[in-house]
Amino acid sequence: MMQRPRPERSSMRAEQRSAWSLTAPYAAFLLAFAAYPVFFALALVFMHWDLVTPPSFAGGDNVRLLVTDARFGRAVLNTFVFLAIHLPLQIVTALGLALALNRRLAFRAFWRATFFLPVVISGAVVAILWNALYATDVGLINNLLAKLGGSPIPWLTDPSIAMPAIAVMVTWKNVGFYVIIYLAGLQYIPQSCREAIELDGATAWQRFRHLTLPMLLPQTILVVTLSTINGFQLFIEPYVMTGGGPLRRTYSVVLYMYTNAFSYQKMGYAATIGVALALIIGAVVAAQRRVIGTAEAA
Amino acid sequence: MPSISFEKVNKKFGDVSVVEDFSLHVEDGELLVLVGGSGSGKSTILRMVAGLESVTSGTIRIDDRDITHLAPRDRDVAMVFQDYALYPHLTVRDNLSLGLRLRRMPTAEINRRVAWAADMLRIESLLERKPKQLSGGQRQRVAMGRAMVREPLVFLFDEPLSNLDASLRARMRIEIGGLQRRLNTTTVYVTHDQVEAMTLGDRIVVLANGRIQQIGHPIELYRNPINRFVAGFIGTPPMNFVEGNLHRENDRVFFVSEGLRVQLPAERLPGSVPSKAMTLGIRPEDVTLADGKPTSGGAGAARLSGRVLLVERLGGTSHIHFDVGPHRLMAAVSGEDPPAVGDTVGIEVPSERVHLFAADGNALARAE
Ligand SMILES: Nc1ncnc2c1ncn2[C@@H]1O[C@H](COP(=O)(O)OP(=O)(O)OP(=O)(O)O)[C@@H](O)[C@H]1O
Ligand SMILES: [Mg+2]
Repeated sequence: MMQRPRPERSSMRAEQRSAWSLTAPYAAFLLAFAAYPVFFALALVFMHWDLVTPPSFAGGDNVRLLVTDARFGRAVLNTFVFLAIHLPLQIVTALGLALALNRRLAFRAFWRATFFLPVVISGAVVAILWNALYATDVGLINNLLAKLGGSPIPWLTDPSIAMPAIAVMVTWKNVGFYVIIYLAGLQYIPQSCREAIELDGATAWQRFRHLTLPMLLPQTILVVTLSTINGFQLFIEPYVMTGGGPLRRTYSVVLYMYTNAFSYQKMGYAATIGVALALIIGAVVAAQRRVIGTAEAA
Repeated sequence: MPSISFEKVNKKFGDVSVVEDFSLHVEDGELLVLVGGSGSGKSTILRMVAGLESVTSGTIRIDDRDITHLAPRDRDVAMVFQDYALYPHLTVRDNLSLGLRLRRMPTAEINRRVAWAADMLRIESLLERKPKQLSGGQRQRVAMGRAMVREPLVFLFDEPLSNLDASLRARMRIEIGGLQRRLNTTTVYVTHDQVEAMTLGDRIVVLANGRIQQIGHPIELYRNPINRFVAGFIGTPPMNFVEGNLHRENDRVFFVSEGLRVQLPAERLPGSVPSKAMTLGIRPEDVTLADGKPTSGGAGAARLSGRVLLVERLGGTSHIHFDVGPHRLMAAVSGEDPPAVGDTVGIEVPSERVHLFAADGNALARAE
């Protein structure tokens, strides 16, 4: 046996040193722009602060206000309504488009780029664009409906339609991103497995149901998680398009937080809303994982 | 009673013809091996039977049913893929049963078949595992089980053992052969490994460039290869070839090349030979070392002298490579005391074991 006493240790230390030096810039960035605000927000939960006068200790005031605030409750409910429409729609459209784009198709690269384009356009621009599409009397969509013999629909002014309309729009904007995720997942289904299930007697639907869909489960988990996190942060669309109306039905949690912070100058309460939102997101994502996890085991 | 018949089957990919005029009848219960080099069209033929590849022209029948244009699911064939193609997200049990469930078979029957296959393949203890928790050999068994439970008309195997190590390959080869004989299911088995072909096949089809070279029982191909390609392909180690010419002296015929002269039994040669230029073939196991003993001269065996270049000792047998003039020959000899490198040894080539190939590669018809 050869004796190799210390080199392993020292080389490990050298490895650690270089690991630290390589991560240091990122760590510093993270500390400055993520960790610091997080701790600051946590501290603000127990403060009154109007941005002008120095912060003062508030004890449990903000938390007490939050649990009794009907407007906050409304905003949370609105966001759940949004997610209830957005999530299934996002999965179905992204998966459907990915399946279509995965075939041999003329101009495939063009189509892929086209569906990805809205992802990189600023949310405010998209919102302004869709404002024009959704406009009740001069909008493109109602124009089309009229040509087909339908009556105009008040997309953004009817309290029960406005949030679904925004959900459709957000789905459209993000679909390209999730299509990419599904397309990547589709590459991992071996060609021979597709052929094997065909020989095993599967119809096109059975192939999808018993091979494609279960094999895309990791991608679906990712799509659900990302679009949930993203959906809870709904802000720019109601801010630009509806201002939270009609009847506060499109008032999202982040919009309410923003209003408290910058319209009412209640930084402490806004921070409390933010922390509550983070807790809600964590709880919802954990619950989703548990549900999908048991579905996988079945 | 399923048999498979191919009638003038052709396959082109674009302008490239990969299978040409493939006609063949596979008997009911037969295990037919398709063998050939890489790119010879073996997989393509198999996949045309499965319906995974379209047929450019010609007809494929299972029994009397024309399946040429049927969808794969309507053909009632099962295939074992080179990479096994197990469904990664399903347990072994579900891998076996999926095909039956898709066809809405009663649960009791599904369970009976799964239990039967698992017992036969000795994979009962693996039924609740996922494919990635299995070894290569176990995956191989599951893939076979998935084909078995279907009780299909036809089994198709596409190089099922090529991902296994040598010893496991030898074991699985024996298992597949035994299983096929017990089930008596008509089988087409693709391989590029001629040992697999020889040991498994009821008959072997040798392919080159999408064309059938020869069809026959393994021993027939070994004894009477129809051309130089088949002669070189079947048999390990491969046949020795020497280029040379035929010489007639009076009523005797010799194969002559530099450093080498073999008298041929005149009665073995047809009256007229297509060319004077010939290739002589002799299998390594037919070449013997002379040991200095006097040989039966005449047409019995030709005695050559060669210098030993390399000795590969395999234990019971050794492969001895030597130079005979400008030619390199190999002998496979038994015994544990082979000559040493550099020795000059006497070599005997029994003339009745010699194969002759004309310039076009075809074997001279031998009158036996
Ligand atoms: N989809 C395809 N498109 C174009 N050419 C193809 C296609 N599939 C196979 N070929 C060509 O057809 C020929 C025969 O291929 P095939 O896969 O049948 O060979 P094989 O005998 O199975 O070889 P191997 O031993 O390497 O598996 C090859 O030259 C291959 O390049
Ligand atoms: Mg192949």
